[in-house]
This record gives sequence, C-alpha cells and structure tokens, in this order.
Amino acid sequence: MMPARDLSRPELFRCQQLRVGISGRAILPAIDLSISAGQFWAVLGRNGAGKTTWLRTLLGLLPPVSGSVRSVSDVRVSYLPQRSGLDDLYPLLAREVVSLGAERGWSFVGMTGSAARRARAQRALGEVGAQDFAERPFRSLSEGQKQRVLFARLVAGEAEVAILDEPTSAMDRIAEREAFELIRELQSKHGLAVLVVSHYLSIVREFADRALLLDADAEQVVVGTTAQVFEHPAFRRRYGDLAAGAAHG
Amino acid sequence: MADAQPAPAASGDLDFDALLAPGAQPPGAPAPRLGPTASEPGPASTLTAPASVGHEEHPTWQDFADNWPLYRDPVACGVVAGAVLGALGVFVVLRRAVFVTAAVSQSAALGVALAFLLGIHLGVTPPPVLCAFLLALAATGVLAWRSPSTRLPREAIVGLLYVVASALAVLVGDRIAQEAEDINAILFGTAVLVRPEDLLAVLVVSGLVLGALAALYRGLVFAGFDPDGARIQGLPVARIELALWTLVALEVSVTTRAIGALPVFAFSVLPAMAALRASSRLPSALLLAGVFGALSGGLGYLSAFLLRFPVGAAEACVAAVLFSLAVLLARLRT
Repeated sequence: MMPARDLSRPELFRCQQLRVGISGRAILPAIDLSISAGQFWAVLGRNGAGKTTWLRTLLGLLPPVSGSVRSVSDVRVSYLPQRSGLDDLYPLLAREVVSLGAERGWSFVGMTGSAARRARAQRALGEVGAQDFAERPFRSLSEGQKQRVLFARLVAGEAEVAILDEPTSAMDRIAEREAFELIRELQSKHGLAVLVVSHYLSIVREFADRALLLDADAEQVVVGTTAQVFEHPAFRRRYGDLAAGAAHG
Repeated sequence: MADAQPAPAASGDLDFDALLAPGAQPPGAPAPRLGPTASEPGPASTLTAPASVGHEEHPTWQDFADNWPLYRDPVACGVVAGAVLGALGVFVVLRRAVFVTAAVSQSAALGVALAFLLGIHLGVTPPPVLCAFLLALAATGVLAWRSPSTRLPREAIVGLLYVVASALAVLVGDRIAQEAEDINAILFGTAVLVRPEDLLAVLVVSGLVLGALAALYRGLVFAGFDPDGARIQGLPVARIELALWTLVALEVSVTTRAIGALPVFAFSVLPAMAALRASSRLPSALLLAGVFGALSGGLGYLSAFLLRFPVGAAEACVAAVLFSLAVLLARLRT
C-alpha cells in the first residue's frame, strides 16, 4: 500500500524498492514511499522491527541492500538522535549545541561569524521557549529541556526535514504531549517534513498524517495514511489491544 | 620496558649531576639528543658548570638561575609541548581514546630508535622526527582501520599496538645503546637537554597544530558530540577524525623526539583531564589544559633539576599533581 504522492508539495525524499539490512542481508521487504514538505510521518514498529536500520539507510548512514533513496539536492536535514546518540562528556552550553545546527558541509572551517551564529542560536532558542537555558550546560538540563534545545538546533539550521528518533522516550506524558505540540508548531511555521520514530501510539495517531509500519519478524511493511495503517491487520496483529485503543483515539 | 639496559657510557645518560659536576662541560659530544655538537654551537657551549655544586648536595634555585641559558631550551620545549599536547589532549580525552595516544607515542619512540639503528647499519641516519611521524601515522592508521571481520574492540588493538611498539623500541634500543643513543631518553625522557633543531621542530609543528585546531574547532566539536547529526548535515566526519589523529601523530612525533614518550603521553592526558574537571566550558577547558600542560613542562623540569629526578618522570608527576589539585578544587567548589 503506498499513498498517492501529494503533488501540491515538493517531494524531498523518495525510496524506490528500497531494501534495508545489515552486512548485505535484507531484514525487511522492499519499501516504496515518498516524503514531501509539510508531511508528518510516524515510523512504527516493535523493538527489533528495523526502524533504526531503515532510518539510518534513509539518512545515508547505512548503504541500502538494494533499491535506492533519492533526495532533492541540498535538502537540509536535521536529526535528533536518541538520548544515547549525544555525548554528555562534552562541556557545551545549550546555545553552543544550537549553533551546531547551522553547520553544513565544510562551513565549520575558520574562525569567523561567531556573533552571527550566536544571534541565530538565541533567536532559535527564543522560538522554542528555551531562551532561559541558553547559558546553561547542555548536559545539566532535564530531558525535556534538552529536547527543546535540540528543536532549537533544527530551527537554527533552517531544516526542511526533521528526523526524530524516539524524541520523547525519556519524558512523562505531559512533557511528551508538549514536545509533539512543539514539533507540530514548528512543522506548520517552517513547512517542515517531520519523521518521528515513536512507540506512543495514541500520540502518533493524533499528530501524524502518514505512517510506516515495519515488522522484521513478519517480514512485512505497511505504508499509508495514519488511519489506513492503524486499521491494517498487520498493525492490529502486532499491537493487539493497544492497536484498538490507539485507533479510536 | 623494565628490561631496558641503559648503556653506562652513552652520552644519553647525561643528567643534571653530570651537567653540574665540577669541571663538567656542557654536552658537545656527538649525541643527537644532548645539546649542540662541535659543529653546532649553541647556548650550552658558552656555559661553565657551577663549581659550588657537588654530587652530595641538591642543586639550588640559584644554580638554576645562574645557568638559565643552558636550561632555557629544554624548559621552552617542555612548556610548548605541554601546552599544545594539553589542548590537543582535550579532544583525545573527550573521544575516550586516551590510550591511543600512549600507543602512538610509543610508536613514535620506536620510529626514533629505528632511525638511529638505520644510521648505525647504513651509515646515514634518516631524520628521526620523520621516522617518528611515519610510525605514529602508521599506528594511527591501524587504529582507525576497522575490518568488518575483526570482532575485537578498538581497546584490544590499542593494547596490542602499545605492547608491540614498546617491546620493539626496547629491542632496538638494546642495539643502539652502545652507539651513543639511550633508549631511556627516548622512552622516558631522561635527557636533560634538547637540541636546537628539535626545539625548532617543536615550535613550528606546535604552531601549525594550534592553528589547525582553531580552524577545525567547530567541526571537531560537532563530529565528537553528535557524529550522526554531523554526518547528516553533510560534515566530512571521517576526514575530521583523520585530521585530528594526524595532528596527534604530528605533535606526538616531534615532541617524543625532543622530550621522550612518557612525558608526551602524560601531557596528552593529564592536563586535559584536569581542565575538563575544573571547567564547565569547552573553550576554557582548552585554555586551562594548555596552561596545565605548560606548567607541567616548566615546573616538571625545575623540580627534576632541584630534586635530581629524571626529567620526563618529574614532568609526568607534576601533571598528575595538577590533576589532583584540579579534582580537589572542583570538589570543594561543589
């Protein structure tokens, strides 16, 4: 099942017969999908379903086993990794982390433009309501505050695509909802395409308009609107009672 | 390394006692590590040893001040090497690759020893710093290369490389010991003087390394803090890492030639650890690490002079003391 491409919005990524895997061995069937500006995608699947492998292949961090991933040239992608993806040993201020969002390619070479970068970081922090943390060490912030700072990083980088790998896994329900509301606000304000890997079905059901269900065990992939995916037998089989609850909000 | 047998007659054994002994002449012997040769007049050749200091009594601060021109170069070398290795070490410590520097500095020491061995057998000594750099770079390459079929962690490869380089350096040292070179000087930094060309190499390379660190700073931070995020934003993370470890190999090779592998390893690790403990900002940690490293080099040399300790070990110990003080101060502050 592949939803018709939204022709009114520019396409940013296209996967064609994409098979992902590790060491040349595919773990999922071929995937065809198109990601356009302004779409909100949820990537679903139980632990070990292949979500991270698919995401890393989409981002070019892993080579595809077969098929292809195409993106428009110079598309600005910002990635919010899981908690373990950032090294807390680095003594960086929140605003310094935000400044990293503006780096592209070889822009890091040289010692000029620090005032402009700082101003840009402050604006981005203000936009996500994190200006109070600007001068605090990033590693001393709570998980919710860190997430806000990372949202500011993608704003500072003027990202067109935001990819978030389980962004709310360390948050309570209220903080999780606030984070998703912030993502949606940034999406509508900046026309972002958003891809979120999440286990929280009810939140995904509420915020995402497209979904990709991965299931390496059953060697099955379902792509469609969120409603279509949540009604799919493969989804119901995998999530059981949780699926019924989430499908009905 | 404990098996190393220093050659009693080797001029590499010259220590502060020998320098300060009544009637002793500053080094003018062919030893490449120990000050100017007859054809290379340097500050040491204009000095006379202080007659008031005998072997039984400790030298004094006044002795050090009186003979400052003799000690100026090695102190400058220790200070500059400490400062630059300290700053570079911040990135090494942050990348959790402390023992990579140990393996690289031992490889550089092996390169220096090999250069002298080749000189003995071929009659022409290749530039020791070049040999040190090539071996250090090769070690870095081995550590960076990960075969998909290798199921060993990087730490295991680091250990292997360290042991092999150390053992080979001692074996080669055994063959060069009778010829004027002391493997202890290369491994542990026991030599008290630095040749002018070695100081020059340290100054030039250290300047280049500092410049490169400043130019690549943001890339080094991003690639270490969030490597996946950096890759996705198009930063050449693999090349940034290669640049970092090439800078490490370069700085380690010239400083190992000049002051020995032990203080080089100490300067690459301890000042950075102290600075990261004492500072909550990366720029100030870099600055502090440089200051701690410079202090370790300068005070280490002075304490070795005053207490008749081997220079390299004294420098390493001063770096360790500064680290302990930084930890203590950080605890008191919190």
